[in-house]
Amino acid sequence: MDGGGAVAGRAGGAGWTGRPEGAGREGGTGRAGRGFGGVLLAPVSARAWREFAYVLLSLPLAVAYFSAAITGLSLAAGLLVTFVGIPVLAGVLLMCRGFGWLERARARVMLGAEVADPEPLLTGRPGAGAGGRRGVLGAVAALLKSGSAWRHAVYAVVWFPWAVFAFCTALTLWTTAWSLLLYPLWFWVFPVFTDQPGLQLFQDGDRTLHLDSPAEVALAGFAGLVLVLAAPWVVRGLAAVDLLLVRGLLGPSLLAHRVCELESDRGVVVDTAAADLRRIERELHDGAQARLSALAMGLGLAKEKAAEDPEAAARLVGEAHGEVKLALKELRDLARGIHPAVLTDRGLDAALSSVASRCAVPVAVAVDLPERPAPAIEGIAYFTVCELLRNVSDHAGATAAHVDVWKSGPRLLVRVADDGRGGARPGSGGTGLAGLAERLGAVDGVLVVDSPDGGPTTVTAELPWRSR
Amino acid sequence: MEDRVRVVIAEDSVLLREGLTRLLTDRGHDVVAGVGDAEALLKTVDELAAEGALPDVVVADVRMPPTHTDEGVRAAVRLRRTHPGVGVLVLSQYVEEQYATELLAGSSTGVGYLLKDRVADVREFLDAVVRVARGGTALDPEVVAQLLGRSRKQDVLAGLTPREREVLGLMAEGRTNSAVAKQLVVSDGAVEKHVGNIFMKLGLSPSEGDHRRVLAVLAYLRS
Repeated sequence: MDGGGAVAGRAGGAGWTGRPEGAGREGGTGRAGRGFGGVLLAPVSARAWREFAYVLLSLPLAVAYFSAAITGLSLAAGLLVTFVGIPVLAGVLLMCRGFGWLERARARVMLGAEVADPEPLLTGRPGAGAGGRRGVLGAVAALLKSGSAWRHAVYAVVWFPWAVFAFCTALTLWTTAWSLLLYPLWFWVFPVFTDQPGLQLFQDGDRTLHLDSPAEVALAGFAGLVLVLAAPWVVRGLAAVDLLLVRGLLGPSLLAHRVCELESDRGVVVDTAAADLRRIERELHDGAQARLSALAMGLGLAKEKAAEDPEAAARLVGEAHGEVKLALKELRDLARGIHPAVLTDRGLDAALSSVASRCAVPVAVAVDLPERPAPAIEGIAYFTVCELLRNVSDHAGATAAHVDVWKSGPRLLVRVADDGRGGARPGSGGTGLAGLAERLGAVDGVLVVDSPDGGPTTVTAELPWRSR
Repeated sequence: MEDRVRVVIAEDSVLLREGLTRLLTDRGHDVVAGVGDAEALLKTVDELAAEGALPDVVVADVRMPPTHTDEGVRAAVRLRRTHPGVGVLVLSQYVEEQYATELLAGSSTGVGYLLKDRVADVREFLDAVVRVARGGTALDPEVVAQLLGRSRKQDVLAGLTPREREVLGLMAEGRTNSAVAKQLVVSDGAVEKHVGNIFMKLGLSPSEGDHRRVLAVLAYLRS
């Protein structure tokens, strides 16, 4: 949590903050450098010209989208009383999606901004039953039901007035700025070719103001310079508003983003469950099963010997008895590894104290919770501490560790700190921190590792609080 | 013990390896080597072959390091190719007909495939070891049940009487006529009659010798 911590997993929270990630990178090509030189050079930077061209090109495109969309929508609305209106409407929506594709491409090429494609219309599920109708009818239904298609249509309509405004502002600003800046070079045109001494600023009755004295010419040039310097930032602002519209209406919806994220989380959960089953099978096979096989072998031998050599048989039975006790202990440990009974019965405090007592280094446990969280959260917190304490035993070379569990707002916080050698990194061999971060991520949790080389190490896990 | 055999054990669990060794030496067999993985097994057998002291039988676990999947079966299949004279008895926590099929493919003398649990029946297990060492077959009843269950000749099998099916199963496990007779508590002659009926109903030519008989039955079930 304190500075320098490597954050594994991801910011969870309500899950809606900071999205969409990956879609929101501002293009950095032709970036005007920071500082004074950057400000001076901005008007002639490639990026400024691309943005200017983008805003200028917006008008004809917006006119085309607007007229096409309005015409199409009105036509469809008029025809909706008949069946024909429906496919027409779908066609218009499809056309708007096409506009969206073009706009996203334009934003990418001219503004260097990646905007992810919206969710596809027909989610590819081969052989889907009634829900996944194919063919023209299915496509029409999908279009009419698609929120993104309708957002595209909204874009085609509402973008138009903004594009007109942006176009006028940008064009006026640029022409005025550059002509004023260059005014000292061409003000001689007025006395030579017109009957005015210079550019006329205003006329009120017989009072007129012409820019003709050297001071006025210089002032005009200076004003031009200021405008030229300001223009790229104004245009950038206009383009940024455009980009907001593109992102908000033409990108994937927040819901779709969340769905993607949950899908990947679900993958992690399924993988984890499969890995756990494999681990349990392995432990059974190598542990209790092998011991019981050996036990059966020993008892079989004892049975064979019972008649001829009772003494040897008794010895074998004694050994078998010892084996049985070991097998029982192994089964007990395995069961605890699957789910510790004390966690269910007595909660985190008791369960973590039991884990701590079995750790190789002395561990102080402090659990401060007003009530018990939901069993799932409790389980994840428990196994997180187990894994972290195992790391402390195996890797940290620590002499002491402490575990703190507390509730902060809607989050359950778990911190394991040790005084070992540090240097733990998510993804570095054998510590399992990356796996832990993934598991926590599956419930919108976060793992923060602060482990400078030389120690000490503090690992904090943050889980959403759910009451039982 | 008149039937002394030389055994190599390949089993990654030290506990079971020791147990098997004790079981076999206790009955007068000679455990020449005990190894923990398939690679060591192949190496050991090659070395013994170079010394001219091939073991009679190898007892191998299916799951061994490094991948803990089917190393034992693959090593066994290889041994059967490189050293056809060595019997191979594969032990496993679970039996799969698929593994049995792989083991029995090609030349099929001296093969065994048993559940680890069978070890508890010491006498039967030792019988199986000796049988495989002598070039016979020892298939786990579960494998035989799977073979019978999956056979595509269900209509013919349905034509067998319950007693004949029992005899067929025991035969497929690799038992001799007298062993079958002992198991079912009937006379040798009765078993011979059953066997004759089975071969007739399955359309197999009665062949001499227990071992070839097993092969015929297994080939029939797998086809």
